[in-house]
Amino acid sequence: MFVLLLVAVLGQAPSVAPSEPGVQSPARSEPDSAPAPAPESPPAVLPPATHELFQRIQNRVAQVRIIERRSGTRSSIGSAFFVSASGHAITNYHVVSDVVLHPEDYTAELVLRSGGEPVPARLVDVDVVHDLAVIRMDDVVKDFFALEDREPQQGTRLFAMGNPHDLGTTIVEGTYNGFIQDSLYERIHFSGAINPGMSGGPTLTGQGRVVGVNVATMGNQLGFLVPVKHASALLARALEVKPDEARTLVDTVRAQLVDNQQRLTEQLMAAPVPKQKLGSYQVPGRWIPFLKCWGDTPHDPEVPYTVTNYQCSSEEDIYLSSHHRTGVVAFLHQQASSQKLGALRFSSLYSALYAQDPDTVEASREDVTNFRCTTEFVDVEGLPVRAALCLRAYKRFPGLYDLVLRAAALNASTSGVDTSLTLGGFTADNARKLARRYLEGLSWTK
Amino acid sequence: MDEMIFLEVLEGDSVHERHRLERFPATIGRAYSNDVILDDPKVSPEHLRIERREDGALVVRDVGSHNGTWRVEPWAPLAELELAPDTRVAVGDTVLRFRRRDHAVPGTVITSAVAPRERVFEHARAFPIAMLALIFVSSLETHLGNYGRTDWGELTVAVVTPLTLTLLWAGGWAVASRISRRRFHYRTHATIGSLVLLGAVALPPLVSALGFSLGLGSGLSWLHHATFLSLMGWGLFWHLRYVARWEPARLVRVLVVVTLSFGALSRANDLLGNEPFSTSLDFPRTLLPPAFRMTRAQPVESFFEEMEGLQQQVDALAKEE
Repeated sequence: MFVLLLVAVLGQAPSVAPSEPGVQSPARSEPDSAPAPAPESPPAVLPPATHELFQRIQNRVAQVRIIERRSGTRSSIGSAFFVSASGHAITNYHVVSDVVLHPEDYTAELVLRSGGEPVPARLVDVDVVHDLAVIRMDDVVKDFFALEDREPQQGTRLFAMGNPHDLGTTIVEGTYNGFIQDSLYERIHFSGAINPGMSGGPTLTGQGRVVGVNVATMGNQLGFLVPVKHASALLARALEVKPDEARTLVDTVRAQLVDNQQRLTEQLMAAPVPKQKLGSYQVPGRWIPFLKCWGDTPHDPEVPYTVTNYQCSSEEDIYLSSHHRTGVVAFLHQQASSQKLGALRFSSLYSALYAQDPDTVEASREDVTNFRCTTEFVDVEGLPVRAALCLRAYKRFPGLYDLVLRAAALNASTSGVDTSLTLGGFTADNARKLARRYLEGLSWTK
Repeated sequence: MDEMIFLEVLEGDSVHERHRLERFPATIGRAYSNDVILDDPKVSPEHLRIERREDGALVVRDVGSHNGTWRVEPWAPLAELELAPDTRVAVGDTVLRFRRRDHAVPGTVITSAVAPRERVFEHARAFPIAMLALIFVSSLETHLGNYGRTDWGELTVAVVTPLTLTLLWAGGWAVASRISRRRFHYRTHATIGSLVLLGAVALPPLVSALGFSLGLGSGLSWLHHATFLSLMGWGLFWHLRYVARWEPARLVRVLVVVTLSFGALSRANDLLGNEPFSTSLDFPRTLLPPAFRMTRAQPVESFFEEMEGLQQQVDALAKEE
């Protein structure tokens, strides 16, 4: 999936929440609660006009600036919205990831809609799996959103707010289209224009109730939101954090990644590996619904062989930093056969396929080590394969690894199936269990 | 002393000029009136005189030179010196040595007196055979490596490239031979060149195939490297045999040092552990038909047991930084 995260230059969008009939936006009772966003207009029968909505809620949204200490100026921007009287605001993890990973080099500050100097903000807690973070400024906030989780009906008109490309606070109309089906990490599909700079901004109903947090776009009115329930859960945790408690958020992130891979592993191990027929072989098919599978056989009359591709991928990942992703499951099979090539020429083709590695999970030198590989002939229940197992470790998150398994069947001289499995961000034990289950899903049916 | 002595003008340890002196007195100096003329600006026009003393001994005497005359060991100025065998005196920047006719010379250096043997490279048919083998192997490799439609252009390149390379390569060596040994040895160099190229074309696939058959893992790249170095050393040895005049044993010693240094330098990163960051997977990719496999396939269980070793390796890498 080609999702563009909305970080690079993200503008805040203040949004005005018109009061919802019935349920008003009383601030959740906060320890040091400022007056709740009190002014409740009388319940409207029709959703208020967009400009009224904007007027009401614009002060609840702010722009987040990530300041690089040496240059003293912003290195990226995003949006955030206030959710407590004591200055808590929700944004995306990917907006503040630099502050999480390099607190010595970056700080965050909030630019309020009401004007004035930017206010320094502290990072309180993060939810890396759902791409959320809570930041807090010391000032008291008079006007903020209450978070409550009520799923709108599909087709409900929604309003996304933020500061796209730092052009100024914007409100964008769109439509609620429910949860993305079969997704690995829960996301709401918002049909409206979300653009870089709006990350971390809220998307609301016409009544000013937050539905989700802007997180990504695929362009063309395909926007994605993090469901508000994850923000509520994170906020509940964040409110318990004592103000001066020194926390290393990197450890929090690591713990969340470990939990997440454990959940994925359990899901995968609980499901039987479906057998997909590919030529005279059976290979692992769509193991679990969050994997999206595609296949094709290019037909070129000029070439004396055929290669059939079958690939599955979660098409989603977890953002750790601008050049490090994790939480990925993907595999690819290539079944080759030829009636015209001799055994040695077929071997050249087969070697060339075996030499092509799938794209590894994105990472840089400061994130991961180099791969180390081992290679053997392996007997998979009677089917001889040439297999290689490669592993690299995460430097910042000890105990997590990326694994690549490559295997090519060696039972025939002019046909074969070559397969590769990529697991991003698993513990060694889980990765081994999954890779073994995967390899054992390979068989020959003659 | 004898009637006749030799005066040697030394240059370092070796003799630069040698003069036979039969009549005395004899004079030495820069002027053309002398019996021995020295072209050393620090030597006076009339510098030394060798004459027979009354008692019959030959003496060398300074005849009033400007810069003086010195005996060499120990260094001391002298005005007159009786000549003994191997006496050395210095005048200006020149060292002179006197020797008698009966000076004993060392024994003759013995060389192997066998008749020169024709080596296989020099054989008239060796070059065409080596070249044909090279072209055949090169075309065969191109053919086997191409799994698409037959590409005649590629096959032509596979024939022309080694031919051209060999002829140019041999040309370079032949010029070197001509300079140092007065003969071109062109055909011999071309034969050696073809054989080296044949090795360069044929050995890597053979090593890869061997690696596949035996199920070798990461050690294979070192085997490839060693093969390349041996081939390089072998080629240099035989080319240099037709260029340098060194004894084979000395050539071998020099080449072993050169080849090993080159090999170590080209793998310096690996040897020093300076591994650049890479996201690539490093394992052998050669696959051959099932019949080539000579080792047993392991059970799945033991294959995945190897992951513990990998884990330790990458954990160690992660801790390094």
